Amino acid sequence: MDQVDSPILLPQTPRRRTRHRTSSIASQPTFRSDGSLKPSHRSLSPNMRPWPSSLPNGSYPEILAPVPRRHHALQPTTALADAWLRTPSPPLSLRGSGQHGHASFGAVAFVGAAGKESAVVQEEQGFGRRWLRWMHKNGVKHWVVPCTLLASVLVRWCVGLGSYSGQGTPPMFGDYEAQRHWMELTNHLPTRQWYTYDLQYWGLDYPPLTAYHSWLCGKIGSFIDPSWFALDTSRGVENPTSKLFMRSTVILSDYAIYVPAAWLFTRVWHSDRSRRTQNGALLTLLFHPALLLIDFGHFQYNSVMLGLTLLAATSFISGRDLLGAFLFTFSLGFKQMALYYAPAVGSYLIGKCLYLGPRDGAQLFVRLAIVTAGTFLLLFLPFLPPFAAASAILDPITRIFPFNRGIFEDKVANFWCATNVIVKWKLWTTQSALMRLSALFTLVGFLGAAIAPIRAWLRLRNQERATGVPSVMRTVLLLALLNSSMSFFLFSFQVHEKTILLPLLPLTLLLSTAPHDSPTFKVGVLTNNVGIFSMWPLLRKDGLGTQYVALSLLWNRLIGHGPYVSLRKATFLDAFTWAAYLGCALLHLLEFACGPPARYPDLFPVLNVLLCTPVFLFAWLWSIKSIIEARWTAGGVSVVERKEKRTSLDRVISSESLGAGGVSSGLAPLDFDGVRNRREKATSLGYEFSSRRGAN
Amino acid sequence: MLVNVTSSEWDILAFSTAFKLLLFPTYRSTDFEVHRNWLAITHTLPISQWYYDTTSEWTLDYPPFFAYFEKLLSIPAFFIDPRILDLNNLNYSAWSVVAYQRTTVILTELVLAVVLFKFVRGVPDSNTQRLVSASLFLHPGFLIVDHIHFQYNGFLFGILLLSILQARHGNLLASGFFFAVLLNFKHIYMYLAPAYFVYLLRAFCMSPQGSVLPSRFLVLANVVILVFVVSLGPFLLMGQIPQLLSRLFPFTRGLNHAYWAPNAWALLTAADRILLQYAKRFGASFSVDASGVSSSSRGLPIHTFIITIIFQSVFLVKLWRTATYRSFLTALTLCGYTSFMFGWHVHEKAILLVLVPLSLLAAENYAYFRTFMLASTAGVVSLFPLLFTPAEKVIEVVYSLLWAIVVFGPLQQRLYEFPRSLPAVIVGSLETMYLWGFLLLEVVVTLCPVIAKAVAPAPEKWEFLPLLLTSLYCALGLTWAYFRLSFLYIMSK
Repeated sequence: MDQVDSPILLPQTPRRRTRHRTSSIASQPTFRSDGSLKPSHRSLSPNMRPWPSSLPNGSYPEILAPVPRRHHALQPTTALADAWLRTPSPPLSLRGSGQHGHASFGAVAFVGAAGKESAVVQEEQGFGRRWLRWMHKNGVKHWVVPCTLLASVLVRWCVGLGSYSGQGTPPMFGDYEAQRHWMELTNHLPTRQWYTYDLQYWGLDYPPLTAYHSWLCGKIGSFIDPSWFALDTSRGVENPTSKLFMRSTVILSDYAIYVPAAWLFTRVWHSDRSRRTQNGALLTLLFHPALLLIDFGHFQYNSVMLGLTLLAATSFISGRDLLGAFLFTFSLGFKQMALYYAPAVGSYLIGKCLYLGPRDGAQLFVRLAIVTAGTFLLLFLPFLPPFAAASAILDPITRIFPFNRGIFEDKVANFWCATNVIVKWKLWTTQSALMRLSALFTLVGFLGAAIAPIRAWLRLRNQERATGVPSVMRTVLLLALLNSSMSFFLFSFQVHEKTILLPLLPLTLLLSTAPHDSPTFKVGVLTNNVGIFSMWPLLRKDGLGTQYVALSLLWNRLIGHGPYVSLRKATFLDAFTWAAYLGCALLHLLEFACGPPARYPDLFPVLNVLLCTPVFLFAWLWSIKSIIEARWTAGGVSVVERKEKRTSLDRVISSESLGAGGVSSGLAPLDFDGVRNRREKATSLGYEFSSRRGAN
Repeated sequence: MLVNVTSSEWDILAFSTAFKLLLFPTYRSTDFEVHRNWLAITHTLPISQWYYDTTSEWTLDYPPFFAYFEKLLSIPAFFIDPRILDLNNLNYSAWSVVAYQRTTVILTELVLAVVLFKFVRGVPDSNTQRLVSASLFLHPGFLIVDHIHFQYNGFLFGILLLSILQARHGNLLASGFFFAVLLNFKHIYMYLAPAYFVYLLRAFCMSPQGSVLPSRFLVLANVVILVFVVSLGPFLLMGQIPQLLSRLFPFTRGLNHAYWAPNAWALLTAADRILLQYAKRFGASFSVDASGVSSSSRGLPIHTFIITIIFQSVFLVKLWRTATYRSFLTALTLCGYTSFMFGWHVHEKAILLVLVPLSLLAAENYAYFRTFMLASTAGVVSLFPLLFTPAEKVIEVVYSLLWAIVVFGPLQQRLYEFPRSLPAVIVGSLETMYLWGFLLLEVVVTLCPVIAKAVAPAPEKWEFLPLLLTSLYCALGLTWAYFRLSFLYIMSK
């Protein structure tokens, strides 16, 4: 078959010679040998219909004697006729398609050849991938993104139907009331009172961007019904319409920041992957259960902060460092929790400056400093002279960093709370000593994140300059984000259980395109699931039990994390995963069946903490291990990169070398799927057809 | 059996279950309390009191099998929360009862899932059939009526489809049996009975040449009678049949339901109103019956009954001549459709009786698909007014849109045929315009209250307008789809 396509393909794109297996053209010999068929696919195309897999080989009456069904004028451009041409029909997925999707042209050769191996591959793909493939095969692939966005708005909305934090619990209510109160506050008071007004009743304790966001929401809400946000008198307003409004502000903010950020992430970070893989990653990110539960159930605006960070990271990767710095400062200005990411971001940018050399690096450094400082100034402008007294800036600062609270308040699955079962920290030492100790632990914790990006950049400096950001930095940046946020979560002061969302974001980004048998995927899913479980006490209090079950089920099915694992192939990681799940299930069962004993009312939250902390520690250790490995590969890749300059091949090879180094990188497309998709893009009939048509 | 379920089928089940779980806290209609009350009635009272109890205004008015079904459901309910079964605990809305009753809907709907799963097996084009099956399982109608509004249609349609499946397999006796069972669950399925009667008589009780097979007739009659005896027997012995029938058939209601079901009468009533206004404005030369004008619904059950019978008999004659499975399926759909179009006091929920069998015909060819698309769109939109709270409005609209994209898109791709004549082109583009009009309709209906609030002196006087618009626009499409399907059936060979 190479005689057919090589004269056309080879001169244009020499690298396609590297493929060893043809994909859709593989079906050609079958027809050739038949003799009665013309090799032209075009004449066959309009009559392709799905056929049963039960037909014996060689008897396809419809193919041998096609019955014209459509008007001839339509044939070349009919969506269906065209669809099968463009439909990738690689051998692997075809084996199953006799049973599954809309059987395509190439399927003929493989009907009945379904092996066990391919069945396993198919099982692993998950609902999301299967749905995407189905949409593609049915010629409605242009509806994939609209459908995804519609479905995700639907699920968000449905989660919002449930109760929220502090529903019907006067006098203080919960996070929902806090957010509503801030809308009321910012709309009725001058700026300098925002951080000082009646602090006992949900005083504002987020940076100014949250306040501005609240002001905007409050402004729109007051336009609809002023009574929802009347000063003081509106405290504890709870009615269906105001709830509807509040819920829609979260969805709108999410669709303004997080959803575009996730979409951009899939398009920029995975620009070398197939559209299907990108959309699969989008599905994984949009239905992230922990985020949905906290933002749309419990009620917060975390997705804005996470989305801004994600946008910043995407900007860094596409080489727009100043824009990235601006966006990251906005993220910090929305919620100070984004500081958990700061070591990784800072280290990445410093490394970049060093990489660029004395002149360019210094220039970038100064620019970054100016942009960051300028953005901070802009955000805090109303609290600075000449708009306010010089001391006014202290109000937000003391509210944002509450060091006078304890090391932990509620039960949270971090190091301090878990070890508190044995060592009563609060009795054992003083508050300030604890603060210093936790700062030290955190610092040691994120050492990897602080060093690795710099080292990786320095290694790259020795190699030839490539335009754009070297792809290995993508993995390093994500791992650094994970490492630093996880160490903050585990070791820092005053952590909330909801803060687990911060480490979960980079982890989910990593797993979103990782192959299912890679450690990245396994660690990612385990930590995500245990992360949701760690919030169970909170969700139970909020009355979000059903949503907790539904979203976990949906997401795991979506990404294809099934309950089956073969015992023979099980690794330590699998065993650890199932032990953790077993523990979760057991705790749920016990709590459901017996309830807590009277002597220890907090028994289940404590057990929850004891179960979750080891898993989070494990994820943290794994992030350190991976980041060290990823840093080393920064050198390994470059050798290859010098030889083959920025072809798409380099990623295949670099991923192979990563694999040899034992690195479990989610971004390196080790998975056969990705490689396959790229190959089939190059060699599918559709490509050939269109390029030939272009030549004519 | 579980081994044969493919991953994609598990996917659909997992997705729909997760989604339905999220719908637990949604708005519930009075039907929720109706079913809770029936749980209480069947659990606390002896069987002799079931059809006499009037503690709640929501008396038991379904046939005995449904009462037995409620009795069965009341057993686990007792262990979950005994207060559910307290007869005087009216409008009980604790989380326990909501979660329990909503869960029973999801679980009993598995009957539908299993039957639809069976439909996929053993057909030549299993991919299309799988799409049709999935579209039925995920039908927005079920979502709105069962999982939000609250009823057990998924379960009941599961039995109907089981009966149809038996007919497809040629087991006509089993088909008749399941239909008799279904009739004793909910008597609204009588709309479909004529088609069953004719088909079973012709295809089962007679040989293809037309000679009667008395033994088969006796077997069928005995099976049906047996089902009815099991159902009605206890009440027959207690002499309660008249009371039971008076509960089942309350002929004291008006021609149209409170909200006009989008059928022929809606169009007629609207035309009537417009003519009346016209007459008032421009000086009527004819006398107007004052009492008739003041009532919102006029007419007599017997008239609608006669019209329904006349239309149905046309299709039944056709069915008698060609007693095949496909013909039966079309005639069944048309029987339900005729009853919906011309029936007495039709509820808008009855459109499901049309849409479910029609879905099975969707993949026949492009003409059928087109009819299916028109009827489904109009039918589903006509269900929207069932939910009037803004939060649920968003869900039904977005979900239906999603369903339409995923179902209509691929089917259109598979079945599209080039129009062969000029009239076909014109009709086709008019239909397409009508379908896009639904987007406009939804915008208008959403904005109506807002504009009325801002402009009109008495906004509550205009509340009927969105309902009227929806009803009329859907009636237009459903009437057109009705004649389209009738034409296709009569003209088919």
